[in-house]
Amino acid sequence: MKFELDTVIIEESCRASALATRIVGGIPPAVQVSYVTDGRLAARPLLETHDPFGTGKRRMVVMPRRSSFLMGCPASSTQFACCAYLVLVLASNCPMDCSYCFLQEHLANNPGFQVYANYHDAFDELDRLARAGSGRIFRVGTGELADSLAFDSLTGISRDLVSYFSKHQTLMLELKTKTDEIDNLLALDPRGRTMVSWSLAPMRVFATSEHRTSPPQSRIKAARRVLDAGYQVGFHLDPLIAYPDAEQDYLELLENVFDAVSPKAIAFFSIGGLRMTPGLRSAARQRFPADPMLLGEEVLGEDGRYRTFTPLRLRLFSKLRERIAKARADLPIYLCMETASVHHRVFGAAPLTPAALGSRLVGG
Amino acid sequence: MNSAEVDRRLRHWANAKALPPADVQKWLALSELGRTRLLEIAENLKMHTGQFIAAFALLEEIAIREGQDVGEILACPPLRRVLTSAGSGPGRARALLDELRALRYPRLKHASERLAEAVAAIKLPLGIKIALPRDLASDEVRVEIVAHGSAEMEQLLACLTAKSSEIIGFAAMLGGVDGGLEVE
Repeated sequence: MKFELDTVIIEESCRASALATRIVGGIPPAVQVSYVTDGRLAARPLLETHDPFGTGKRRMVVMPRRSSFLMGCPASSTQFACCAYLVLVLASNCPMDCSYCFLQEHLANNPGFQVYANYHDAFDELDRLARAGSGRIFRVGTGELADSLAFDSLTGISRDLVSYFSKHQTLMLELKTKTDEIDNLLALDPRGRTMVSWSLAPMRVFATSEHRTSPPQSRIKAARRVLDAGYQVGFHLDPLIAYPDAEQDYLELLENVFDAVSPKAIAFFSIGGLRMTPGLRSAARQRFPADPMLLGEEVLGEDGRYRTFTPLRLRLFSKLRERIAKARADLPIYLCMETASVHHRVFGAAPLTPAALGSRLVGG
Repeated sequence: MNSAEVDRRLRHWANAKALPPADVQKWLALSELGRTRLLEIAENLKMHTGQFIAAFALLEEIAIREGQDVGEILACPPLRRVLTSAGSGPGRARALLDELRALRYPRLKHASERLAEAVAAIKLPLGIKIALPRDLASDEVRVEIVAHGSAEMEQLLACLTAKSSEIIGFAAMLGGVDGGLEVE
C-alpha cells in the first residue's frame, strides 16, 4: 500500500463483505480499525481538526453505497461541449492532494475516504445500461470522484471491473489515475474493453501542486506498460495551468509522452484549462496558501468560474492541439468544460454531439 | 523608525481604520521591511480600509508567486513612482492599486493594452463602439452602433464595412491568435 491511512472505519453491515476482508487483511498493523452502525456519519468532516478535508483523506470508510453507482459526469452541462462520459462511483475522495482539486469543494461536507462494499451492485446497473443502449457504446469511468487506482493494491476492485467489462462489448471502462499502481492490471486480459488514462502535468506543476501523486515520468512509463499488456491508453492535460513558460513545458511533456507511447497507440487526449468556482478557489488557497499555481492570471468568466483570461487560454489550447495533430492528424482530442464557441476556435469546426464524441473516444 | 515604533503606528492605523484582526495579524507577520513599507503607503496615501485590504491581498499574491518579500515589491520603481508622485492621497491610492493589478496580472494587462491600442488605431467614428469583454474573460466582441437618422446609419455601416478586416482581427486576437498580443 503506497498511501498512508490513519484509520479504517467499517460499517457493521459491511463487516463480512469481501472488500472489508481484503482491506483489513491488507492494511499495516498500525492502522486502527473500528466498526460503526452508519458509515455516513464517519465520512463527515472533523471540524475540530486544522484541515477537515485533508484529514478525511486519511480516514477510509467502508460502507454500502445507498444511491445509484452510475451517474452523468458532474462536469457536464448544456453550456459546454461534452463527451457523454458516465461516472461509476465506487469510491469518494482521494489519498492524493492536488491543490487545485475540485473535490475540496465538492466533498467539503463528507470528506471521509469512502469505498463502497456493495460495488458488485454496480454491475446490475451497468447490465441495465447496456441492455437499454441498443448497441451504443458507453464510456464509463471510475476516476471522477476518486482516483481509479490509488488504493487498488489494497481493494483489488480493478480485477472485478476489468473482468466484468471484458465480457461486455458495448461498455468501455476508463480507469483514470495519477499513480503508477498498475500491478493488478498487468495480470488481466482486458479484451479491448478497458482504457487507462493518466492526468498529466509538467514537472513544475507536479512539484508545487500534485502532492503524493506519482511523478509525470512514472505515469508515462506506467502507460507504456499497460499498453503492452493490452489496454488502451489516453491522457488528460487537465487542468492546464497557464504559468509563465507553461507553453514550453507542456510541449516538452507531450514530447515525453510521444517518446514513450506511439501516437498511433493513444486513444485520446483531453485538454482542460484550470477552472475554479469562487468557493473552490477560496478553499484551495486556504489549504495551499504558498502554491504559486493557484495565483495565475485567472479572471471570473460568464459561467461563474475563474479561468485563465481567454486569449492566453485559447492560445495554449491551440498550441497543444497543433502538436498533437502533428504527431497524428486523426488522434482524438477534446476540450473539457469549454463552450462550443471555444471548441470552434481551437479546432476550426463545431464540436461533435456528446454521443458522437463519446463514440469516437471509444473507437466507434 | 525602529521596530517598536512601526508596530505602535501600525496598530494605531489599523485601529483607526477598523482593519479586520486577520489582516492586522498578517501585517504584523511580515518582515520588518514589509511592515514598514506597508505602513508608509497606508499613512502617506491615506488609504481607505477597503483599498488597503485589496492592496495587501495583491501584494501577498505577488510575493508568493514571485518569491519576493512584500517590502521588496513595494520598492519596485512603478510603485515608488506612485508613492512619490504629486496628487491627492486617495487618487494615488487608486493609482497604486492599478499598478499592483498590473504586477499581479502582467500578461492580462499587456494583452488588454495591446487590444485597446489596436481598437484605437482604426479610428472609428463616435457612433461605433467596440466593446471588449471585461478582463478578457470571454471571446465575445460586441460592436455597438448609435445613429440618428438613416443618413448617419448608412455612413456608419459603410465605415464598419471598410474596417471589417481589422474588427475581425480583434475577434481572432481574443481567440488566441497572437496578432501582436504576445501573451506568452
